[in-house]
Amino acid sequence: MIRNYFSIAFRSIRKNKAFTAINVLGLSIGISAALVICLLVQYDFNFDNFHKDGDRIYRAVTVSTFADESYKNPGITSPMADALQKEGTGIEIVAPLRTEWQIKVSIPTTSSNKPVVFKKQANVVYADERYFKIIEYKWLAGNPAASLKDPYKVVLTSSIAAAYFPKAPASDLVGREIYFNDTIRSVVSGIVADIDKNTDFNFQVFISRATLETTSLKPRDWQQWNNTNSSSQLWMKLAPATTPKKVEAQMLALFEKNRHKEVGETGKTEHLLQPLSDMHFNADYGNYHGHMGHKPTLYGLLAVAAFLLLLGCINFINLTTAQASQRAKEIGIRKTMGSSKGQLIFQFMSETFLITFIATVLSVIMAPLILKIFGDFIPSGLHFNLFQQPLIIVFLLLLLVIVTLIAGFYPAIILSGYKPVTVLKNQVIASGGRSRNANLRRSLTVAQFVIAQVFVIATMMVGKQINYTLNKDLGFKKDAIITLSTNFFDKNVDNKNVFLQKLKAIPEISMISLSSNAPASGGSWSSTMKYKDGKKEIETDVQIKLGDTNYLRLYDMKLLAGTYLEPSDTVRQIIINQTYSKVLGFQNPQDAIGKIIEWDDKQVPIVAVAADFHQQSLRTPIKPLIISSWASSSRTFNIALQPQNAEGTVWSTAIAKVEKAWKEIYPEDDFEYSFLSEDIAKYYNSEKNVVRLLSWATGLAIFISCLGLLGLVIFITVQRTKEIGVRKVIGASVSQIVSLLSKDFLKLVLIAFVIAVPIAWWGAHKWLDNFAYKTELSWWIFLIGGVVMALLALITISIQTIRAALANPVDSLRTE
Amino acid sequence: MLLELKNLYKWVNVGGNRNFLLKDVSLNVNEGEFISIMGPSGSGKSTLLNVIGMLDQFDEGEYNFLHESVHKLKEKQRAGLYKQYIGFVFQAYHLIDELTVYENIETPLLYQDVKASERKALVADILDRFNIVGKKDLFPTQLSGGQQQLVGIARALIAKPKLILADEPTGNLNSKQGEEIMELFKQLNNEGVTIIQVTHSEKNAAYASKIIHLLDGRIEKEEKLS
Ligand SMILES: Nc1ncnc2c1ncn2[C@@H]1O[C@H](COP(=O)(O)OP(=O)(O)O)[C@@H](O)[C@H]1O
Ligand SMILES: [Mg+2]
Repeated sequence: MIRNYFSIAFRSIRKNKAFTAINVLGLSIGISAALVICLLVQYDFNFDNFHKDGDRIYRAVTVSTFADESYKNPGITSPMADALQKEGTGIEIVAPLRTEWQIKVSIPTTSSNKPVVFKKQANVVYADERYFKIIEYKWLAGNPAASLKDPYKVVLTSSIAAAYFPKAPASDLVGREIYFNDTIRSVVSGIVADIDKNTDFNFQVFISRATLETTSLKPRDWQQWNNTNSSSQLWMKLAPATTPKKVEAQMLALFEKNRHKEVGETGKTEHLLQPLSDMHFNADYGNYHGHMGHKPTLYGLLAVAAFLLLLGCINFINLTTAQASQRAKEIGIRKTMGSSKGQLIFQFMSETFLITFIATVLSVIMAPLILKIFGDFIPSGLHFNLFQQPLIIVFLLLLLVIVTLIAGFYPAIILSGYKPVTVLKNQVIASGGRSRNANLRRSLTVAQFVIAQVFVIATMMVGKQINYTLNKDLGFKKDAIITLSTNFFDKNVDNKNVFLQKLKAIPEISMISLSSNAPASGGSWSSTMKYKDGKKEIETDVQIKLGDTNYLRLYDMKLLAGTYLEPSDTVRQIIINQTYSKVLGFQNPQDAIGKIIEWDDKQVPIVAVAADFHQQSLRTPIKPLIISSWASSSRTFNIALQPQNAEGTVWSTAIAKVEKAWKEIYPEDDFEYSFLSEDIAKYYNSEKNVVRLLSWATGLAIFISCLGLLGLVIFITVQRTKEIGVRKVIGASVSQIVSLLSKDFLKLVLIAFVIAVPIAWWGAHKWLDNFAYKTELSWWIFLIGGVVMALLALITISIQTIRAALANPVDSLRTE
Repeated sequence: MLLELKNLYKWVNVGGNRNFLLKDVSLNVNEGEFISIMGPSGSGKSTLLNVIGMLDQFDEGEYNFLHESVHKLKEKQRAGLYKQYIGFVFQAYHLIDELTVYENIETPLLYQDVKASERKALVADILDRFNIVGKKDLFPTQLSGGQQQLVGIARALIAKPKLILADEPTGNLNSKQGEEIMELFKQLNNEGVTIIQVTHSEKNAAYASKIIHLLDGRIEKEEKLS
């Protein structure tokens, strides 16, 4: 029986090549998009979901609130770990971690007296046995209890061990020496296997915590309850009966008991427990500089996949029901031979299955291609290999069944419902069921174009916002400026001065300023500052930037009142921004001049008020800020270049000369510079990715919808061939016939536009809410979106209608 | 008794008026009978045959098939009757264009869950009997009208039905072909198969044991032959 069905299916597929191609293509695009997107989504949702008792693992984080603004920090005050270990209840394991940002690793070699150097090593962490009790590793050498007990002991993962000590087996590595930052001599005491599942715990070098605790390396904040450093992190595994709330209460009590309170303070500090499962998705706290998942994006992607699949299914439903009358005779005959309705439904479902199966095979071939298209989106750990990932096959089978059901069920019901007598008496064309199907096809076509239209408008809107952000006046100059930073560990202050003098001698450079960072930068540094206005004390969390006298001039920033900073090696004067001036209650910027701000027990006078500028991406609002001069802590050189000449050589010459000077003074350090405008553009990488993705989704949605439209137009023109012939013989012109055939379809596209506008408006509105500074929702976006869609639809329709209208009427009439 | 119609009416509403297609039709058919239905074009022959074949509904009256009221039959049961009892032959042949001759004939057996080996034997048998073995891999469009009707009849017979309903089976055939088919019906009837056929030809009608004359949806007269 099935063979009979399949041979029928194959023959009707061959007979209707165009429709089959449209169906298969539409479905396979949907399926491959779904495949790739589901790979992406399941990749992110499978992070750190394999740890033993994972639902009891938490990270203690800190939320500080000043003046209605919350600051979230993945770290916690350092002494909390020991206090909880001693006094906490209901906690099974307390595991403090201290992360290290870029460390230099040197491996002494026996063959030469120069060690092998690995610069800027990330993924380095100070930990002890307790960490390995929460996050389990396979130990290839050493053991958790002994390996990290003493100072100057290091445990490596096998991948980094292979890089540091090529070709040496794990057991030979114990006892080998490693130097950190040239000064910390330590010894390898264990090797663990890398975690081969998806994990944010990407540490590769574990230095014993005792190394920090008992040596001169001890961080300044080690015993300070009032300091929260994001590198001081605390993981714990709760006892089964403990709730996070209970532990949070204990942390609050410990904090209140131990910290040093100040009079009149207005800020508030909370310690919360972040579930392990939240780490991969919560950008407020971040993970360990690894790839993170963004849930709204992932859900958006899933929606895109669902829509593309739906579009493919709609094509199938439309084309199949349109052709139904061709199959009606067969249905009638089969019924007189005793076929039940169920058997007919099964027959048509197996036909749908066959088409979907072909589409699935095609989509497996297309998937690697789509993975390439979405390359920027795809984390490096994600792979597609059908034969190594049986889950993909299961997923595809599932998809195959679901798509078959969605696409095939309605047509199967319609087809199997034909009454044999109407079929056999050739009354199918006249029966009422057909026009109901035609209405359904119209509705589905409208739905398709609503989806495509929303995609078009959304893409244009996102593009407009990105354009706006990239071109918005940030309050400072950003073109023709390069920045570079000196090594954090360079303690020789003179080096910076020598370098500065050398830069000043380069004619292609117009101005140089030494600062903590550029006006807008990814990272930020803030501190609590106080101002007493006579009656009350105003405490504010204030952003800090260090910059020399040239800083504001180089960046073309406006002073609203006061004067530039005087050169100074320590903090002696500050400039505040207009936002801070307003927070402090000054109506007139001039009023702020000469007032005193208290910062870390220092009293500093305000010498100027600067106009506001953006300190981060436009997603974040402008915050209160001070600029002060503090040469010894400033490590970033801001270099304004002369205008580019016609040959375009000025900048490259300047950079070459800067590099030469750098190499003379910092021979050890890599020369790494960047253009500020490019750095700023990078803040919007995720938005750019969204635009790219949306553009692709839009393109595919339009493509599938237009394919479906083309199919319907082909069907209609074939059905009306005779009518077209008669009209031409009577004297209708080609354009009259084209417009006759196109009108109905264009009407559908217009209805879709009317429905899509409010949906797109609402969606774009919500998305723009993410931005503190945003472009407006212009009406012309909608108009252009609509026109583009209508044009594309018109072109699609015309492909077929013009051909039909041009056909020689004699041909179509003679066949009767 | 195989089937009985009692005071059957069928009508369509045209602008508020009832337009009768069948009017007060009563008819008994016994197993093993051979009946011809005659009448002018538009007199309701096909309608009557379709009602008998349960392809079409009626509006009033009673129709019992094997002592069961057709009204009460579910679609499943009706499909079951088609499988086991009834074979249809149409004037327009109504073969499935996408299937070969062989597959067309085989299809009823598929619905009866006949085993593959048995299917093969049965189809081979009937191809042989109808002399169309050489055509078995051709598609209906590649055959002449007469050949197509032979395939249609072969398909109706393959499942060994107890009742054959034939609507102008020879309408599109030349007289020699028509005669062959009538001989075949006669032979089947002798083997016990009940046959009801619609025909325009006096000569073909005479193969039957009873002729029913229809006029405007009403049985005008019943004529017994011997
Ligand atoms: N579903 C229907 N609706 C309206 N009129 C019908 C329908 N079916 C048949 N008729 C009409 O009923 C009459 C009888 O038709 P039919 O049984 O096909 O006649 P015959 O087969 O005797 O030529 C014809 O006039 C036909 O037009
Ligand atoms: Mg008729």
